[in-house]
Amino acid sequence: MPDPAIRFERVTKAFGPVRAVDAVSFDLPQGALVTLLGPSGCGKTTTLRLIAGLELPSEGRIEIEGRDVSRLAAAERRIAMVFQSYALFPHMTVLENVAYGLSVNGARRAAAEAEARAMLASLGLEGFEARLPAELSGGQQQRVAVARALVLRPQVLLFDEPLSNLDARLRRRVREDIRDLQRKLGLSVVYVTHDQQEALAVSDLVVVMRDGRIAQMGTPTELYEDPADAFVADFMGEANVIAGEVLAADGGRARLRVGGAEVEAAMRAHPVGPATLAVRPEAVTLVDAGGVPGRVARAAFLGQTREYEVETDAGMLFVIAPASAPAFAEGAAVGCRLERVIPLRG
Amino acid sequence: MTSKRGFAVALFAGALAALVPGAARAQGQLTVYCSVQEEWCRPMMAAFERATGIRVAMTRKSSGETMTQIRAEATNPRGDVWWGGTGDPHMQAAEENLTLEYRSPRLAELHDWAVRQAQQANYRTVGIYAGALGYSYNVPELQRRRIEAPRCWADLIKPAFRGEVQVADPNTSGTAYTLLATIVQLMGEEPAFDYLKALHRNVNQYTRSGAAPARAAATGESVVGITFLHDAVTQKVNGAPVEIVAPCEGTGYEIGSMSIIRGARNLDNAKRFFDWALSAEAQAIGAEAKSYQLPSNRNAPIPPEAPRFENIKLIDYDFARWGSAAERTRLLTRWDREVRAAAR
Amino acid sequence: MGALSLARIALACAAFGLLIPPWYGLESGFASWPGGEAAPLAVLLAGGAAWWLWPVPLILLASAPSLLAHRAEGRLLIACGAGVIAWVFLQGWAIGLPGTVWSIAAPFVGDASQPALGWGATFLLTGAVGLLSAGLAAQGRFNGDAFVSFLVVGSAALLIAFVFAPLLTILSAAAVEDGRIAPEAMLARLTAHEAWSLACVTSSLGCGVVWNTLALATLTGVLSTLLGLAFALLSARANLHLGGAFRALAILPLITPPFVVSLSLIVLFGRTGMVTEALSALFGIPRSRWIYGLPGVLLAQLLAFTPIAYLLLEGAVRQIAPSLEEAASTMGARRFTVFRTVTWPLLRPGLAAAFLLGFVESLSDFGNPLVLGGDFDVLATRIFFAIAGARHDPGRAAALALLLLGLTFGAFALQTAWLGKRRYVTVTGKGDAGVPSPLPRGLAIACGAVAFPWMAFTAIVYAIIMLGAFVHDIGRSDMTFTWRHYITAFEVEWFQGLVFRGAAWDSLFTTIEVAAISAPLTAGLGILLAWLLARQAFPGRRTLEFLAMLSFAIPGTVVGVSYIMAFNVPPLELTGTSLILIICFVFRNLPVGVRGGIAALAQIDRSLDEASATMGGGAVATLRRVILPLMRPAIIAALAYSFVHAMTAVSAVIFLVSARHNLATVYIVGRVEAGEIALAIAYSSVLILIMLAVVLGIDKLVGRAQIGRRAPAGAMQTAPVPVTA
Repeated sequence: MPDPAIRFERVTKAFGPVRAVDAVSFDLPQGALVTLLGPSGCGKTTTLRLIAGLELPSEGRIEIEGRDVSRLAAAERRIAMVFQSYALFPHMTVLENVAYGLSVNGARRAAAEAEARAMLASLGLEGFEARLPAELSGGQQQRVAVARALVLRPQVLLFDEPLSNLDARLRRRVREDIRDLQRKLGLSVVYVTHDQQEALAVSDLVVVMRDGRIAQMGTPTELYEDPADAFVADFMGEANVIAGEVLAADGGRARLRVGGAEVEAAMRAHPVGPATLAVRPEAVTLVDAGGVPGRVARAAFLGQTREYEVETDAGMLFVIAPASAPAFAEGAAVGCRLERVIPLRG
Repeated sequence: MTSKRGFAVALFAGALAALVPGAARAQGQLTVYCSVQEEWCRPMMAAFERATGIRVAMTRKSSGETMTQIRAEATNPRGDVWWGGTGDPHMQAAEENLTLEYRSPRLAELHDWAVRQAQQANYRTVGIYAGALGYSYNVPELQRRRIEAPRCWADLIKPAFRGEVQVADPNTSGTAYTLLATIVQLMGEEPAFDYLKALHRNVNQYTRSGAAPARAAATGESVVGITFLHDAVTQKVNGAPVEIVAPCEGTGYEIGSMSIIRGARNLDNAKRFFDWALSAEAQAIGAEAKSYQLPSNRNAPIPPEAPRFENIKLIDYDFARWGSAAERTRLLTRWDREVRAAAR
Repeated sequence: MGALSLARIALACAAFGLLIPPWYGLESGFASWPGGEAAPLAVLLAGGAAWWLWPVPLILLASAPSLLAHRAEGRLLIACGAGVIAWVFLQGWAIGLPGTVWSIAAPFVGDASQPALGWGATFLLTGAVGLLSAGLAAQGRFNGDAFVSFLVVGSAALLIAFVFAPLLTILSAAAVEDGRIAPEAMLARLTAHEAWSLACVTSSLGCGVVWNTLALATLTGVLSTLLGLAFALLSARANLHLGGAFRALAILPLITPPFVVSLSLIVLFGRTGMVTEALSALFGIPRSRWIYGLPGVLLAQLLAFTPIAYLLLEGAVRQIAPSLEEAASTMGARRFTVFRTVTWPLLRPGLAAAFLLGFVESLSDFGNPLVLGGDFDVLATRIFFAIAGARHDPGRAAALALLLLGLTFGAFALQTAWLGKRRYVTVTGKGDAGVPSPLPRGLAIACGAVAFPWMAFTAIVYAIIMLGAFVHDIGRSDMTFTWRHYITAFEVEWFQGLVFRGAAWDSLFTTIEVAAISAPLTAGLGILLAWLLARQAFPGRRTLEFLAMLSFAIPGTVVGVSYIMAFNVPPLELTGTSLILIICFVFRNLPVGVRGGIAALAQIDRSLDEASATMGGGAVATLRRVILPLMRPAIIAALAYSFVHAMTAVSAVIFLVSARHNLATVYIVGRVEAGEIALAIAYSSVLILIMLAVVLGIDKLVGRAQIGRRAPAGAMQTAPVPVTA
């Protein structure tokens, strides 16, 4: 088993009294695209900067491919980073920007420029070598920043919210480009974002962070379908969090009492007793009768889907139904059939 | 890039050259603090360089500033000779043991007043020129105001001169201190302060430099300027419409002096300069430089414009007493309190 | 840079200092090398002299083995570096030139004496600082970056030696009487009648010098702000296309030696001045001496400082986003109402800054009160004469200096308090599409009525300066044309080669040399400090910043006195060298370089540094290849500023010039003192032309866009100009 690309052992970073990263431990596998996800201020960017060496940990140990880098400055680690602002040097041409890392590491000018040229070509940036960053479009700048990082053949490539400066349509294409590149080169990538869709779309592994700690870590599917708590459930797409009671649960199905009604749903094993349950909006099917009874408070047609808010004894349920399903009008009495239910910890 | 580097190299070389002047050091050199006006300092030093081949580095500063500098540098003197400037600070430096005793072989050639001063200072200083105190007035301004021409100290306290007399501040100027000491010696201390208080009402401004009032009288900024007479002569020779007055009651004088600084790094050269500066030919340079003091060497030619001591009633000025720090501080404090602070 | 390589370089540097350059005396030269007074320490020790310095090479040797074995042992290096520094200074203080200073050392060394430290010691100490920094870095301080560690420790050492220590010297002088410490004397001096007397309120007597200073500074602050505002509004908001004229007006005082304006004022308004004569002849207005005293000094200071206020306020006016004013007018406000309710409140922080700047400038001005003050004394001149006057009293000078320091610090504290609350409007880079609303008509007329006469007045004042150099005696209205003054000053003779006979050459050469050496040092050190302060996090950062900015608040007179008190005796003896002038200029002008640098760095996104770091660029590479190229405008501005200020400063260096190294401004002050106004004016005009050439050359070099409106306006805001005086 190869060393993990990155290992954190109880790493803490404190800024004065604030612990931006609080005793975090994890192993990130090599050759995977890992996303650090969380709301702003959760410590994801600090974690990334700790990996990069732009911050040194207050406590704990950081390894990159088995080497202890806890006290090494950024310049001494073999990592590369693509910044949110791209951080292209405005006084250097595209070529000089890409060749910069090679030349500060001691490469001869001609060799560095040749390699930089090749890297630019492989990213489809031929012909832009002599331009200044200010003369490029946002997408092109982003690719130059990636080229500048890749040319160093880093052990780990870091992205700090790389899409936030792009418009919505470009965002999707660029994130796919990044994913393709990562797969093609077998790179270990750590990627910071606050956008869960982005995270779900590109990641092999997602680390959800909250208040300087890891809330949950897992594949996109695991996180979506089996969030550990209400925070993760809500952050990984919308979820109705309701109180209920598990009457029996085994073999992937369970009998529950929700809002006074007894229902059956797909659910992983859980001890019998009261529980906090999360139900995704699309995991609820509205029927004329059965399930949890309620009344449609609001209905909206969105083309591909219909959205409902249904008042039940368990609280308001948000429901998304395919447009092909039967429609209900506001005020109609309905039954909510829970298809899949996720029991939450705590 | 190359040109930038060339520039940097040149800068660096310049820096080195500035910091290591000793590299091209001549075998003989001398540092002189000069306290007369620039026009006199320069030809003096040039003439000495020509006569001896010793390179002179000269700074011109007023005697007060020079005194400050010598005092500050006492533990590690920079200068060798202090040439020129009114005698009091030289006496004071002698008193504070900042200067060196030296009996020049040329002492015999000097006027009595110069020798007497040297004796009073234990030969730590010597007179090189003398100048009497007095005043000058601007003739057109006087006539415009129809004031009778003044002749005595007593004339200056007349109401006609209200706001028309300029004199330096004795706290900053040796000239003005000489006036203070002169009046005290002339009249006795109490009447002297009464006089000074009366004069205060007529004074328009206490300048900081001793020679400035002569200039003010020359331009008409002030009708009367109390200065050393040679300063007034300089203005008159330059064509200013002034008349020069040696007051009828008698007046004090300064002895421009020269001292060797204790701890001089070039002591031999300092002594050579000292001897040379007392010679008749060295003292003739003053007149050429439009400085009309009376030279201390009996054989030096007296400039025709110079006020002759024979025609001036001089008091018997006690340099030792009135030059001492204690007496000076006492007089100045009293002057500050009773005269300067009084209403006009 | 790693700790190990720094430690090795440092050790090599120390060894060099030990073996090659003369240990004693900065000006001893190499004539007798390697023996005599130019002997390096190694030769001295081998010859049995200065045996009390043996610990120095031994301590250095102790650090060598582990370095040769490729190990940087933090504690050992710290101990060695600190040990060498401590030992060199302790022995230097204990054994001075006149002999053993500390009686505690007498039993050990007998009656030994030694001169001041020289270049050998300088290299050795630099090496020791390097070892110390390498040790700190090896222990993980400064993020383990030895380069940063060396910069911090080195600049802190320099700042302590050349800013803080002299200040302590002068402060302690205030508490010393007759060679012993006397707190009651200090109290008496600080509360002296001469400083605080309020006699002018109740009688015709003069007031205390503190009140004089305060009154003058307040008037100068208020009036220069108002004048500056008139100019700023006209140039930014009235379509008059006066940019060129205003720029000239703004640049002129910056390149004028501070007292030259006073000379011109005397020629114009003295009792026999041109204007006075004319008024008297035409209207029979009695000729008075009003120019000598508060009015004259005030006028001279206004001429000198209004342009600075203008630059500052012009920036402030232009920063007001036109859309705000447009928003107000779309809501139906009339022009004047818009001005009163939107523009004016937005200007207030700028106005406060301009006022405080004028206030502080006036406090530290020395040249104008010297020339025009008459009976009107301010603290700066009173301090000078307490030192240089007939009654020499360093204790009194030190106490007055304390009062002046108190006033300046008070003003700065006020400024910080005010600006701290202000939210800086940053330029977002998004163009504000609005068009600035023109001035209300009445206001435009009022501004014009103030500004244009003032401009004409300034032009006349400068014309007098230029004219005075070419006529016999402008003070006596003797207007015959002559080259006489220039010949006196700048005569050149061909006598077996070029001989510079003129009286001014020596001081001019020294001035240019000192300015040319100190300017790059100032800019370099300033930018490095700015980079440390803005980009590196380390313990003691705020202290370092305070030290770096401290000299800005110390008036020049105080600096001069403190330097001559602090650097005249071994172990640090600098008086009489050109080095002390260079050091004085470097540390006096440093704050401007630092502030300019910090302002420039604020414009450079931090992620650029980080990008370089992640690509393997260490601190040195990042600085050299990314930061410095991007800071070029700031560097050039700092260069120009320090060059010009080294050429115009008077108050500090008047104490520091020596026979061999005299400066132009001090020479000119001497000419003024002797009443040779024409020569002074002639020399000043040459200085002005030289500086004009430098400033315009730089303008050309960097391009108008940068040194023009934005750079100086921006730079001035953060880096208020000059405490030249």
